[in-house]
Amino acid sequence: MNDKRYDANTITADGRLLLKKLERDGVDSVWDRFRAQLPNCGFCEMGLSCRICVMGPCRIDPFGEGPQRGVCGADADIMVARNLGRMIAAGAASHSDHGRDLVEVLGKVAVNAAPGYQLRDVEKLKRVAAEFGIKPDGKQPSQIAAELSDAMAEEYGTRKKELTLIQRAPAKRQEIWRRLGVAPRGIDRETSEMMHRTHMGVDNDWKSLLLHGIRNALSDGWGGSMIATEVSDILFGTPQPGVTRVNAGVLKKDQVNIVVHGHNPVVSEMLLRACQDPDLLKLAKDKGADGINLAGVCCTGNELLMRAGIPMAGNHLTTELVLATGAVDMMVVDYQCIMPSLGTVAACYHTKMVSTSDKARFPGMEHQEFHPENAAAKATALVKDAIANFNRRGEVFIPVEPVECMGGFSVEAILGALGGTPKPLIDAIAAGKIRGAVGIVGCNNPRIQQDYGHVTLTQRLIENDILVVDTGCASVATAKAGFKQSQALEKAGPGLREVCGALGVPPVLHVGSCVDNVRILVLASALANALGADISDLPIAGAAPEWYSEKAATIGVYFVASGVYTVLGPMPPITGSMNIVKLLTEGLNDVVGATFAVEPDPEKAAVLIRTHIEDKRRKLGLPYIQV
Amino acid sequence: MKEVIVHPERCVGCMQCMPACAAAHSQSKNLFQASLEIPRPRPRVHVGVGLFNEGFPNRCRHCDPAPCLLACLPGAIARSAERNTVFIDPNRCINCASCAMACPFGVIRYHEDHTAPPGKTVAVKCDNCYERQLAGLIPACVEVCKSGALRFEERSEAMKRKTDEVARTVSVGAAPVELAPGFALLNAMKRKQIDLAR
Repeated sequence: MNDKRYDANTITADGRLLLKKLERDGVDSVWDRFRAQLPNCGFCEMGLSCRICVMGPCRIDPFGEGPQRGVCGADADIMVARNLGRMIAAGAASHSDHGRDLVEVLGKVAVNAAPGYQLRDVEKLKRVAAEFGIKPDGKQPSQIAAELSDAMAEEYGTRKKELTLIQRAPAKRQEIWRRLGVAPRGIDRETSEMMHRTHMGVDNDWKSLLLHGIRNALSDGWGGSMIATEVSDILFGTPQPGVTRVNAGVLKKDQVNIVVHGHNPVVSEMLLRACQDPDLLKLAKDKGADGINLAGVCCTGNELLMRAGIPMAGNHLTTELVLATGAVDMMVVDYQCIMPSLGTVAACYHTKMVSTSDKARFPGMEHQEFHPENAAAKATALVKDAIANFNRRGEVFIPVEPVECMGGFSVEAILGALGGTPKPLIDAIAAGKIRGAVGIVGCNNPRIQQDYGHVTLTQRLIENDILVVDTGCASVATAKAGFKQSQALEKAGPGLREVCGALGVPPVLHVGSCVDNVRILVLASALANALGADISDLPIAGAAPEWYSEKAATIGVYFVASGVYTVLGPMPPITGSMNIVKLLTEGLNDVVGATFAVEPDPEKAAVLIRTHIEDKRRKLGLPYIQV
Repeated sequence: MKEVIVHPERCVGCMQCMPACAAAHSQSKNLFQASLEIPRPRPRVHVGVGLFNEGFPNRCRHCDPAPCLLACLPGAIARSAERNTVFIDPNRCINCASCAMACPFGVIRYHEDHTAPPGKTVAVKCDNCYERQLAGLIPACVEVCKSGALRFEERSEAMKRKTDEVARTVSVGAAPVELAPGFALLNAMKRKQIDLAR
């Protein structure tokens, strides 16, 4: 058998072996389905197809001879801007709605209507509540939680002028947003307004549509997503550094393996609790299992990894592959990035698939709906089912040994490691030991060899003394590649090695799930505020080398709109309008002080980022080098 | 005489020619109804994937002399000089696949078709939409192609246009003409990704 095909799909050892097994078992994978879709439709890839109304659907001929306008008269600029706007709206809606679910749990915990959940970080509760103008004076934590939950719910449809949490941004940044008229006014409002503006016959100025795209993305980054992260910390604990293990090798042959998949920790935290229940552990023993092994994939996995050191079996493109181990007794999903193929894949093994969210159902899965009121009881029942499934296993194939990794770097943890202030980090940057910092975020995408973009870019940055913070599937990629253990310091440049070595941290910091990209915004603001500067002045950048989802598009836009130069791997569907390509890659610099770049080759992306960082150092009057 | 001419550099890979072709060769001639017909109508044009994931609409060239015609043992394949079209008679076809073996372009498929006796698998390929042409319509694949990759035109017209295009590139002081800079940018990015994977 020619194994080169597997090598072309993924750089991961577990991925290659499991892909081979999947093929042997006669199961289609995401790569097979990707190939079956080729060639992709060029109109769609360029943003030149419009399905918004039924006078159409319409296409615009990029060669200029066929139709140049949709039936309504929209030209290429308008069509691309409308499509991009809706993409941003969908991404903002997803992460922000995830935030809303957490706010609801917070509200229920406050009135004791969510048995099993608790307020794990009361200090953070008080800090965040203060930002919303809630005075603690002698109130019980539950009272504060009730008020905070109400205040946050208000942010979704606020009647105030601006979202509360944009005050966390440096003053200069807030001024830029106000001057442009893009300070977000309400989380749901901006998404709803985007859907309105892109309806036929509303906003037909592509620049004005894109400006609203910025406001929509900011309503997520400094609104819905930020609320999601903060409330998760309050309910489940603010992450602190800890060691765990990654890749498909974390699954255990002799234990009941339960894998959680999705994004929201509301369900998985209750499962974690149930997996530690002595009665259930005894039940597992009685069935011949040596214990209950809870592992994660995707960002639900990241949420548990960050807070509880739960092992991580893989990222986006590994989610089908882990089922081929035959060792997953149950996979429990919540929402986002859960491929609807999973039920079909699981049907070829003994894995029991369970969906849990009232808003996310999948073929081939049993639906067990979780609500704050019943979550603890449901979780116990599910773990019992998983234990009962242990003896139904067929062949088990655990392809590799797991890799050790360190996670849990919340902003609080990073500042804690620095002694409570960003000053040591700023000093190290000023001295040039660390040239700058880069947030590497986003997904996997079958267009790119799995993890190649993340790992190559990370390697090139850290060897050039650039600190990497990562989230989501990117963070799992570098963890699998061994960048999150102390030995990884050998891969770093001398300056970064010295600083990270002294602090006892790896050169690549896992800051959370994809919703936790807001931690990067908060950290960047802390650095900028300490310097009295704007985020766009800092020697920092963002990158999404393997992005695929609408959420990632929104994240990219809120990064750039917050002043962070961001390099994308895959091209977004905008090449139908060179005006928009130019605006996003050049013109935005004069608008928000940062731009996008698109560079599929991570080696070249690293050069772009290093050049940008040294340029920012020069402008700050810091020692700089020619890249 | 007008014929379908393929301009591969303009194919954006949308595959709209395929369902349009299937619908044009259905009983109902309507895409939605056609999708419910038995036997299910199938396209005679097939979009392939190039080295860089670009599309290419592969259809019968109606060769002359036609290898398929020469290879057909029961004499089911004939040429209409009037329409410059090679036809397959589904009643005579014996489903032996000789024509497909002889075809250098791989455009012949075997399946049931509403024009063939019920239940009989026959060789099927492009017929230049002769039914549509009789009704004064242009071939269906050309009608739906919005990027100009498939055109219905005089061969001499296409050659003249190409000749002029080439001539303009060698004019003194001519700047290279970019047909569609956005499409070129997209393709450059895709090419990079594929080069990386190799």
